[in-house]
Amino acid sequence: MNKYILSKKLYRNELATFYSFLIGFLIALAVGSLILFIQEKNPFEVFSLMLKLSIGSVNSLSNSLNKAIPLILAGLGISIINSVKLWNIGAEGQIFMGAIALNFVYINTSINNSQIYILLLLVSGFLGGAFCILFPAITKVLFGVNEIITTLLTNYIVFGLTIYLINGAWKDPASLNFPAAAYVSESVYLPTVLGKLSSGFLICILFTLIAYYIKDKSVFGYEMRIAGGSELTAIYAGISAKQKAFFAMLIGGGFAGLAGAIELLSQTHRVSTGISQGFGYTAIIVAAITGMRPIGIFLVGCLFGALTIGGSVIQTIGVSSYIAEIIQATTLFGALVAQFFFSYEILKKGEND
Amino acid sequence: MIDIQLMGLLNATLQAATLLFIAALGELITEKSGILNLGVEGMISVGAVSGFITAINTESLFLAVLVGVLSASAFSSIHAFVTVVLKQDQTVSGLILTILGLSLSSLIGKPYVGKKLEVKLESLIDIAEPSNIFQVLLSQNLIFYIAILLMIFTAYILKKTMFGRRIEAIGEDLKSADSMGLKIAKTQFIATCVGGAFAGLSGVYLTLSYVPYWTDGMTSGRGWIALALVIFGGWKPYRTAFGALLFGFLEALGPRLQTYGFEMSPYIVKITPYIITILVLVFLTIIKNGNTGAPKNIGIPFFRENR
Repeated sequence: MNKYILSKKLYRNELATFYSFLIGFLIALAVGSLILFIQEKNPFEVFSLMLKLSIGSVNSLSNSLNKAIPLILAGLGISIINSVKLWNIGAEGQIFMGAIALNFVYINTSINNSQIYILLLLVSGFLGGAFCILFPAITKVLFGVNEIITTLLTNYIVFGLTIYLINGAWKDPASLNFPAAAYVSESVYLPTVLGKLSSGFLICILFTLIAYYIKDKSVFGYEMRIAGGSELTAIYAGISAKQKAFFAMLIGGGFAGLAGAIELLSQTHRVSTGISQGFGYTAIIVAAITGMRPIGIFLVGCLFGALTIGGSVIQTIGVSSYIAEIIQATTLFGALVAQFFFSYEILKKGEND
Repeated sequence: MIDIQLMGLLNATLQAATLLFIAALGELITEKSGILNLGVEGMISVGAVSGFITAINTESLFLAVLVGVLSASAFSSIHAFVTVVLKQDQTVSGLILTILGLSLSSLIGKPYVGKKLEVKLESLIDIAEPSNIFQVLLSQNLIFYIAILLMIFTAYILKKTMFGRRIEAIGEDLKSADSMGLKIAKTQFIATCVGGAFAGLSGVYLTLSYVPYWTDGMTSGRGWIALALVIFGGWKPYRTAFGALLFGFLEALGPRLQTYGFEMSPYIVKITPYIITILVLVFLTIIKNGNTGAPKNIGIPFFRENR
């Protein structure tokens, strides 16, 4: 019966992840077209409109890149945590926590120098994100509690906390029908650099390089890889796997928290439910699809930012914005299928004896 | 003394528990075979929306349940294909299944948001104000009883039948299972699709009875609580059922706290089940000293080296 056998390829193409992504993206576009076709929309028309309104002008391009910022930062955080083979499904909550921590510090402090103040607020966002993952990190390293479930459930708790704050203690009396906290002063807005592009994008580039350095060049990154690879090797090398896991989680959470802080200072200017629209979940796709490589996360983050903007503008012609999300998720499924063919080959029995 | 409030709490507990339990039981079967499927939330959502749409368009409950179960099962086969046949990462695939399931059901459910159901899963015996435990039990609908049957059936199959022993053997020791000539891929594929079908049934219960309407994101993390339940239950059907009752009780208790005289913000009440889920999970992992009873091969793809 078994005429064919599966064999692991000895050498994997170095660009396999990249090719898999391209193949996945094509498959996703095909699936997206099919859905649009069923909904009696012309896929070509919809996609070209998406393209035009997401990268067609300086304004739309800067909108797209602004959307990419949280995806990239949260994705980088996920990739750092994955160095120790752990998962962070809680980026969505960490983004909100970053914004909450920022607002908390903003309310309770006052600094005249706005540059220093912005820096302080960004740092508090980072710390907020790290704080958000503190409990999952502690319980993971001390007791081995499944971090996938604890980080995920934290999302619901932090989202509930956000709603509690903007309806209670932080409620802005001026915003009547949409509960939100009061706006921060214009002096702490992140300046724009080109068109509407926020300077947060420059921070994003910087943190991409930092993540690349931490993961691929630093001793800490090397130790993280060993800690995540084999417990025995880590012990032999005198590396505390638990310590690495703990700090990896805090740093990764901090990246997502920073994303929330930048989102607040450059887009929403206040704490509201609009701080994140599922960025933390999309970031998982971004990180996974690139094989957790920082530079890849940056590039795919930009593409997915454009897709998200494209998805939101096509609502005007009666197409659901969920088509963008479906394309993003299907891209990863398509890439997984393609990965298979880069890692395995199907041989006829007796061919390889 | 007959406490109608207490009976109301019991009724709400059973309903919330049913919803969580069916999905958890399905995931238990899947995980027993060594496949971790983090897509429960997405599968419940797909089952919920497709059941709801069928109920609106055909007004047939039977068809609605059938379509809900089958579509969630078909949806879970994506995960089975990617992880069993193509041997890709189970965590990644499961997570994306959730994201895809939620966005897909939002897309197809959009025209149905706010629509009213003409048919709804009714209680077996209509009792307006149940005054004792038996009346509460009798006033549940058919899916509640199906859930009990599924629990007994699953426990029996896993422990007493060849098929169940095979699933367990594969989940515990792939190499031995393989050398015994067990059909690993086939068994894991089936176990994953059965898990999807259960999640679909849970979703149908959500939109045809528990809520009953359709809106975006209405699964609100129940799929993840179901995943936690499997760990809580130590991969055992009866203990998972006990856990479902506990979590169902917490979910039912939340909105009632104020009527019992506790001053609490409704926003905080809403997040208590999630906080308690985490605390219970932590507590349980501690007392079991990390040995939770998980199948040993969970998450590891099977690949036979061709020698």
